[in-house]
Amino acid sequence: MDLFGPANKPEIRIQELTGERIRFILTNTDLSMANALRRIMISEVATIAIDMVQFDLNTSVLADEFIAHRLGLIPLDSTEADKIKYPRDCNCSGACKECSVELNLHVKCTEEDTTKDVTSKDLVSHDPRFTPITEGPKDAGILIAKLRKGQEIKVKCIAKKGVAKEHAKWSPCAAVAFEYDPFNKLRHTHYWIEEDEKKEWPQSKNAQDDFPPLDDEIFDFTAKPNRFYFEIETIGSMKPEDIVMNAFKKLLEKISSIQMGLHSNDVPINGREPTRDVF
Amino acid sequence: MDYSDNADNNNNNENPDENDSDLEVSDILNFHTEKGTVIDPQSMTFSISGEEHTLGNALRYMIMQNPEVEYCGYSIPHPSEDKLNIRIQTTENTTAINAMRKGLEDLKSLCAKITETFCEANNKFDEKNSIS
Ligand SMILES: [Zn+2]
Repeated sequence: MDLFGPANKPEIRIQELTGERIRFILTNTDLSMANALRRIMISEVATIAIDMVQFDLNTSVLADEFIAHRLGLIPLDSTEADKIKYPRDCNCSGACKECSVELNLHVKCTEEDTTKDVTSKDLVSHDPRFTPITEGPKDAGILIAKLRKGQEIKVKCIAKKGVAKEHAKWSPCAAVAFEYDPFNKLRHTHYWIEEDEKKEWPQSKNAQDDFPPLDDEIFDFTAKPNRFYFEIETIGSMKPEDIVMNAFKKLLEKISSIQMGLHSNDVPINGREPTRDVF
Repeated sequence: MDYSDNADNNNNNENPDENDSDLEVSDILNFHTEKGTVIDPQSMTFSISGEEHTLGNALRYMIMQNPEVEYCGYSIPHPSEDKLNIRIQTTENTTAINAMRKGLEDLKSLCAKITETFCEANNKFDEKNSIS
């Protein structure tokens, strides 16, 4: 049974997949569906990020809130973010092991005439599943502050699960590139030109995977976009293919929760009187 | 969409009996019918809290695929209100609520299908790369 018509036999071709990026083409589906996927990947895939910082000591030149903000933006390994609860779903009053991860940082500069770098590698996580990410052993870590002799930073960080809709630090993506119709056959955009469109507007990388228009092609005003080019670049906290999978999962959850709302609700069906036994 | 809502509201004010006050539903639920938008089972405005264009546009598209649906549109009435309104008007053969049910079910199966497709593509890609 095909409920969605010919436009909805979706196909996906992965063109590139590395540790931090994925490129794929999604075809035979509607723009609204492709756009939903794009929006969820940007703002609704859950990750772990530092959300509260307690300063025990800060004699560096940077203000507390400045450092706290930098700590929040440090990517933490979030591959197992689904094993942790959202703070709002937890029964505890502040933060507990089920809904948060504690990380500590204590650095002091003791050497004369040298600057000590405080980096993400100095963060010590209480949970080995959620640690600041590093790119191999040579990675110097992410610079947080620089200390001179006698200066010291000692903080306790609480990392929590969240989505980028609330704060961009929870986004697993550095960028999501999205394109359709690289030849502008649908005329969804208008190129500003001086003399020659072909000379002044270089072709997109995706043009080589699309079908160029014929020179005498007539404009088809009934045509709809059905070939979408995605490229997702992660910040390292999650594998790119997991971001896509989690986005689909999230969309399914959204639909299910509405279905539940619809089911448990006493809206009239076929004109019958609503039943109120739900309450 | 706003236009049709207003038209319904006016209509209901003239016939207060038809404006089914029983339809007011607790805000705890994420789904209810918008007050004053129901004149008959064929036309309703649903209000979903906590959702926006992500779901709204995809769901609107899915509901429109149903040949019994004459009109479906969505709007986010105000950016500071965390809600999404979906208006559905259908033919006599079905009801707005059933069109909504079908839309959700279809969207769910499409989503499941794409997920499956992505998994296959991912496995295929892994295989290809482990050989070379
Ligand atoms: Zn807790």
